[in-house]
Amino acid sequence: MSERLVIVDGVRTPFTKMGTDLARVGAADLAQVVMQAVLTRTGVDPAAVDHVVFGCVGQPVDAMNVARVAALRAGIPERVPAVTVHRNCASGMEAITQAHEKACAGRGEVFLVGGTESMSGYPLIYNESAKKKFMGLAGAKTAGARVATLLSFRFGDFSPIIGLKEGLTDSACGLNMGETAELVGREAHLDREEMDRFALASHQKAAAGREHLAEEIVPVYLPPKYERWADRDNGVREKQSMEALAKLRPVFERKTGAVTAGNASQVTDGAVALLVMTESRAVREGVTPLGVLERYAYSGCDPKRMGLGPVYAIARAQQEGAPRLDEADVVEINEAFAAQVLAVLAAMRDPKFCREELGLDDTLGEIPDDRLNPNGGAIALGHPVGASGARLVLTALKELRRRNGKRALASLCVGGGQGAALWLEAA
Amino acid sequence: MTTAPTNIRKERHDGDTIVVTFDKPESTANTFDRQTLTELEAIVDEIADDGSAKAVVFTSAKSSIFVAGADLVELSKLGQDGIREIGEFGQRVFGKVADLRVPTAAAIHGACLGGGLELALACDVRVASDDRATKIGLPECNLGILPAWGGSTRLPRLIGLPKALDAILGAKQLASRQAKKLGVVDAVVPKEHVVREARRMLAKPLPKRPSHALTNNPLVASVVRSKVGKTLARKTGGHYPAFPRALEVVTRGVSTSVERSLANEVDALTELTQTEVCRHLVGIFFLQERAKRYRVPGTPEIGPERKIDSVAVVGAGVMGAGIAQWVASKEMPVILRDVSREQLAKGLAAIEGLIEPLVKRRKISKIDARAIRERIVPVAHDVPLVNTDLVIEAAVERMDVKRDIFARLAELSRDDTILATNTSALSVSELAESVPHPERVIGIHFFNPVARMQLVEVVVARQSSPETIARAVSFVQAIGKMPVVVKDSPGFVVNRVLTPYLVEAGRLFAEGASVEAIDRAMKRFGMPMGPLRLIDEVGGDVAGHVARHQKEHFPDRLEIPEVLTRMADEGLLGKKSGAGFYVYPDKGRSKPNERVAAMVSAGGPAPDAETMTKRMALAMVNEAARCLEEGLVEAPEDIDFAMIMGTGFAPFRGGPLRYADALGAERVVEDLRALASDVGPRFEPAEILLTMSREGKSFYSAALPGAAIDAA
Repeated sequence: MSERLVIVDGVRTPFTKMGTDLARVGAADLAQVVMQAVLTRTGVDPAAVDHVVFGCVGQPVDAMNVARVAALRAGIPERVPAVTVHRNCASGMEAITQAHEKACAGRGEVFLVGGTESMSGYPLIYNESAKKKFMGLAGAKTAGARVATLLSFRFGDFSPIIGLKEGLTDSACGLNMGETAELVGREAHLDREEMDRFALASHQKAAAGREHLAEEIVPVYLPPKYERWADRDNGVREKQSMEALAKLRPVFERKTGAVTAGNASQVTDGAVALLVMTESRAVREGVTPLGVLERYAYSGCDPKRMGLGPVYAIARAQQEGAPRLDEADVVEINEAFAAQVLAVLAAMRDPKFCREELGLDDTLGEIPDDRLNPNGGAIALGHPVGASGARLVLTALKELRRRNGKRALASLCVGGGQGAALWLEAA
Repeated sequence: MTTAPTNIRKERHDGDTIVVTFDKPESTANTFDRQTLTELEAIVDEIADDGSAKAVVFTSAKSSIFVAGADLVELSKLGQDGIREIGEFGQRVFGKVADLRVPTAAAIHGACLGGGLELALACDVRVASDDRATKIGLPECNLGILPAWGGSTRLPRLIGLPKALDAILGAKQLASRQAKKLGVVDAVVPKEHVVREARRMLAKPLPKRPSHALTNNPLVASVVRSKVGKTLARKTGGHYPAFPRALEVVTRGVSTSVERSLANEVDALTELTQTEVCRHLVGIFFLQERAKRYRVPGTPEIGPERKIDSVAVVGAGVMGAGIAQWVASKEMPVILRDVSREQLAKGLAAIEGLIEPLVKRRKISKIDARAIRERIVPVAHDVPLVNTDLVIEAAVERMDVKRDIFARLAELSRDDTILATNTSALSVSELAESVPHPERVIGIHFFNPVARMQLVEVVVARQSSPETIARAVSFVQAIGKMPVVVKDSPGFVVNRVLTPYLVEAGRLFAEGASVEAIDRAMKRFGMPMGPLRLIDEVGGDVAGHVARHQKEHFPDRLEIPEVLTRMADEGLLGKKSGAGFYVYPDKGRSKPNERVAAMVSAGGPAPDAETMTKRMALAMVNEAARCLEEGLVEAPEDIDFAMIMGTGFAPFRGGPLRYADALGAERVVEDLRALASDVGPRFEPAEILLTMSREGKSFYSAALPGAAIDAA
């Protein structure tokens, strides 16, 4: 049984830098806002939703299965189930493709999907030594034992493990994500200036695309008083320059590296929701959707070179019958790092790579500049990891409609060595 | 006389515990009527005679009521002797409960009020459920009577005089935890466990009770009596005799025998029930109960599938925000629409200003607060309203704006989505003309502040269908408000009757009476605040707008004094602008505004207090009479109810029409005629008053003209 999935509409919160506008709004709160907003905008009855599927990478400890927590709070009836999915940076895409798989399996027709991430909300974690002592304290039966345990604490016990840093380190290969970007950058012979130029372009496109991006955004009214609201992506630097970018020091390889805070994606809070349904249901209800999910593929690759994930996923999709790269009117490749996107582009046009790594007779091809990330990418907008995948789909579809185009491709590299590629068609 | 128990069940559990369960058949409530008291007495006698039980637990089988109190319908039909007799009867039965040699407990879940609590107080131990439905208190004083089945005697003995007075004179309904804190109940447990916990407590030695010797003695009692008496006199203006009488009985009770104090209770009860005040207060209680269940004759019953369960509010101003917050707090999703994010943010901030104090005062939990907030979806653009059952428009009071909004709403919503306006002045019927399917248009008029005002006027347009009326009424009831159904006409009922009164107060001021004298006169009459202060509260601009609008329709009946206009022009809008008839300093009390006093040049001497009261009160009476005459409502009680609930019109007087009946139509006509010749023709008595005076009738004596709401 095969069912095509249509994307009816979508919204997102503004993407805001960690510790800024949305710092006090948790992942569940963000998801609640977008879930409610997309249902309100589309006029779809919450009771019509068959399943809620949301991506989230760093689930808040106070809202486990954050999809369920947010769905209930968004007013979706209790009997509608909800699941949180995790494929690292592709979690937001995973939510969409899972909906498709459920539909194909006959398990529902209408799905509320998306992703949410509050990177501001990532915890600081006590180290093992401190944890042991706290447990000891809780278990201490006498006042004497309590005092003794208290006295055993050392300063080192209070230096926390930073959740964010741990999360961005691949525990299989031991490299930090930035280090994997340095690796693919080195191997593709990229220099710092190329990376910075790519980063600058991201900001320029995002700044020019403000009005386009605003169409996606639902404002978040801010606690505690709700008299203020956030409705702008605040990572976009209108005045970004090559000079300013050049001043930044490499973060991951201090001496010889090229990856800086300026040419990497930003650490960001945000959420995206899409209302999707089977094409047959959409026809039945007379809904005019934004677009159709045509094909998709996930693929694994070397975790140390996770940044090349899109190349593998795009190739697999093509092998499975997806269109060729040059048939895409809009391409969104997530900008985890400028180095990584540039390495992807280089690999796709490299006959040797395509032959040896992908087993293709021909290269995957080139992406014209004006089709790649036309409204900027994660370097300017930020990368709330669990939500980005869904944003790429939303941004690509809206741009496709603006251009009156036919096809779009949205792709992502995934920590741990994976790639995702979704082909979308205008409705 | 012995009757087979039907309202009460007696069961033996595990051989030695008797559980007595109140479960009135085919009813959701338990009350103490004669039948139930008779049954209870028989059961208690049996238990006493048998002597084999080790414990007795009283409980209820109802989902949200333990015992809600005495059966007021039955009580209200009794004469003086009957009252005395039923008072003594209840005391005797509860006395027998108290005298049982077996330990006794009340296992309370749901409303435990009045007689319900008095039974519980006669027990040795009280266990209450932690459920929200559980409310514990002695609210009798609010009905013009006092707790007279032992409550005024036993409560101070249990918790001490000061706390008991607070509970009785405050007519408070306590949540379980508050009741536990005060010592009224001994334990609070989940509702499934009240009986089990009660049995557990009775199996152990009974809790030791404090003696309260420090407060429950003649000296302290007399000091308290005189101190509290003064406060009461100030607060009630001497209009509500139940309060001083209860104070007297309770304070005397602590230093006399239980028997003597019970006799005092019954004396006071008998006396109080004979007063007009008591009759009016009980009457209002009945009207409130009626409003909760009321269905307009000729309109259909609304089943679950036609009930309103999703709402949109257009306009996030004070009223829109207030309505959205209230509806969301009743667990309905609300789309809140305004033109911009700025406006919405203001509205959301206002809503937060309503929610946050509730959390602080622990009225609701943080989770509840979040749920209320999250049910409100703010939108600054059009969204489909296909899932919305009811739209309440609360935009600016301009017909052109409202017509545009309604036309747009009609496009966005279903054909059967009710389109309601919260207008307080504009014609709902005219507005209905702007949409296809005008039969779904109606007025749902909330009062400010929405959270506090229980009354809602359901304004029936010419086009409103019976189903629309029924759905609107049932919605108002579902959100815990009290509907009064009014035909569409200028000002509906509340503002229509209030306006001549406020304008008359303004005229008196223009004639040279002082702000204080005018307000004092009406406070003495029994209004909760004086008319000029009320104008300040409402806002001079708003009051002026309503008055001018009404004058367009009734040019002869309103003479708006120039000073009102001038005040508005100079920005003296009342409390919100810092000054109106009074000045409102940032700190300290408000004072009469000398600048406004200087605007009027007194001609002759100011009228005396009596004349002022007469002019203002009769202005209301006359207008209320006209509303009835025009058939805006079904019955006189609708107007009285609306004025009491909507404006706080002296409850002890029973409303403007009851007040007129108390004076007599002849006297009212006479006074109005005198005022018409002395003051101005606006006082010409309404036709209906003339008829009544001629035929010797009163508003409540006979069916008068005034067609029922035409539902067809």
